[in-house]
Amino acid sequence: MDILPQLLINTLITGSIYALASSGLSLSYGLLKILNFAHGQMMTVGVYIFYLLTAEHGISVFAAFPLTMIFTLLLSTIILYVFILPFSRYGIVLPFISTLALATILESLISIFFGVNVKSLSTGSFAESIEIGPTYYITPIQIIIFSSAIVFLIILAFFIHHTKFGRAIRSLSENSYAAASLGISSAKVSLYVFGLSAILATYSGILVGYETNIQPTMGNIYTIKAFAVMILGGLGNIWGTIAASFLLGLIENLSIGIDIGNWSLPVGYKDAFAYFVILLVLLFKPEGLFTRAKRKT
Amino acid sequence: MGQLDYINHLLILLCIYLILAQSFNFAFGLGGLFNLAHIAAYALGAYCTAILSTDYDKSFFYCLGVSAVIAAFFSLLLGAIAIRLSQEYFAVGTLAFSAIVSSFLINWKSLTHGVLGIPNIPRPVIGQIDFYQNSNFLALLVGLTALIMFLFYLLFYGRFARDLKAQAENPYATMAIGKSVSSIRNDAFIISSVFASIGGSIFSYYLNYIDPSSFTLAEMVFVMSIVVLGKPGSFWGTIWATTFLVLLPEPLRFVQINASILGPMRQLLYAVILFLVVYYKRATIFPQKREV
Repeated sequence: MDILPQLLINTLITGSIYALASSGLSLSYGLLKILNFAHGQMMTVGVYIFYLLTAEHGISVFAAFPLTMIFTLLLSTIILYVFILPFSRYGIVLPFISTLALATILESLISIFFGVNVKSLSTGSFAESIEIGPTYYITPIQIIIFSSAIVFLIILAFFIHHTKFGRAIRSLSENSYAAASLGISSAKVSLYVFGLSAILATYSGILVGYETNIQPTMGNIYTIKAFAVMILGGLGNIWGTIAASFLLGLIENLSIGIDIGNWSLPVGYKDAFAYFVILLVLLFKPEGLFTRAKRKT
Repeated sequence: MGQLDYINHLLILLCIYLILAQSFNFAFGLGGLFNLAHIAAYALGAYCTAILSTDYDKSFFYCLGVSAVIAAFFSLLLGAIAIRLSQEYFAVGTLAFSAIVSSFLINWKSLTHGVLGIPNIPRPVIGQIDFYQNSNFLALLVGLTALIMFLFYLLFYGRFARDLKAQAENPYATMAIGKSVSSIRNDAFIISSVFASIGGSIFSYYLNYIDPSSFTLAEMVFVMSIVVLGKPGSFWGTIWATTFLVLLPEPLRFVQINASILGPMRQLLYAVILFLVVYYKRATIFPQKREV
């Protein structure tokens, strides 16, 4: 059986999730110049709130979704004003420490309230495979993942490149002093972008919850993956990040799918292989694969 | 558990965390190396010792030596990649490295027994003396910790510490006076990892059982909260902060609390302390850069 087409389908699914999870992080890095170590944990909190509403209180998905997003926006505002902005003036190390502390706080709070066991968002008919080729399968949730990622990313592209607000984001991430001197409010734009990044994270968390399962420690993996993708694509370069998301998905799926002689990489090492790729990129091309030269002022 | 056993247990933990925190303080506090792979070096030490002493019946000093060499080798490897990078890339690179190490701990089942962990690690025997009694083990550990702290004292107040501080504050000025910034960073990185791995060796000897859950990012946050509370770069500060933070969650033990949330409660406590310290001390915790 030729396994390659199935691997490519899986690549699109994984890549979509990574793209959604990391595009927000990349946008907020461009603006705040801060690596948010709690990004994956913000994703976890979002999906656990969604779980609480749908699985434990029986609220329908369509009502729970906006409620979760409102909660995410409130949480992201608190995080921005308490854990990030007070530190951003004092160099790069303090925000690392504060977001690392935040990551642990969020993770342990989830463990305390929901327990450490693996949970699953009930999927029902969503998880049944559909045969789309002789031996290739896809589930409805995977179709939703891929198509919604495409829709989200197209909206994001339009938003960034064709609106006034998008222009403010781009100018601030290119040169915050010049932008501020032209009257663009960094504080306001940061707030909106951070909220957007939290919403994208929560949405991708919910997708992960439907696609696989959720547990309190999952955030950490996605934080590192999102960093990996950002480094691969160039820090703060959002389109590079999105391209790198699909590239990382491809690398991960090929790493377990391809046999070398009679030996193939065990599935458990899939993540380790991805991190190894980051180290290689750091070693040979630390500015990222898709970086263009910056404009001088 | 008798009262004496309990005090022994606390003192042993204190010694292990003193070694772990002081070695992190050396690289991070003095040298500004935000090394998130510190716990990975600790894990390497713990696993090397566990594997060598269970599967190969090696002696105490052999295990400690090999663990230290392996940790030094890995930090050289990682250093080659990470030392030349700016601080944010360094943090992410070391984070990726520690994730690789924990992935191997979980997946290399023939060597590390995966998530089941390695049981029945024998306590060391040196010459005629065995250290199966906790009190004997504590005596050995106090001696070893005192020796390591003395070495760190020399390091903290010696010439190398001044080089290390100088490169953290201004790498270009340091280069201008003929010092190699990358070799200073590399040395600090190796020293710190070697002592972390020794801490890990002792940890696995003490517990007799190790599994990957002892070497998570939460443990890194704990070590970081010690160093930050004691003021980064301060030798004595780290010592008192270790004592304070190791003993702090102990009252939780005597409160009627569900055992399953004890671990997360402890993590939460340390993370909140870490956050509060950096929040209130944010302007002064790292020395301001001086003009040259």
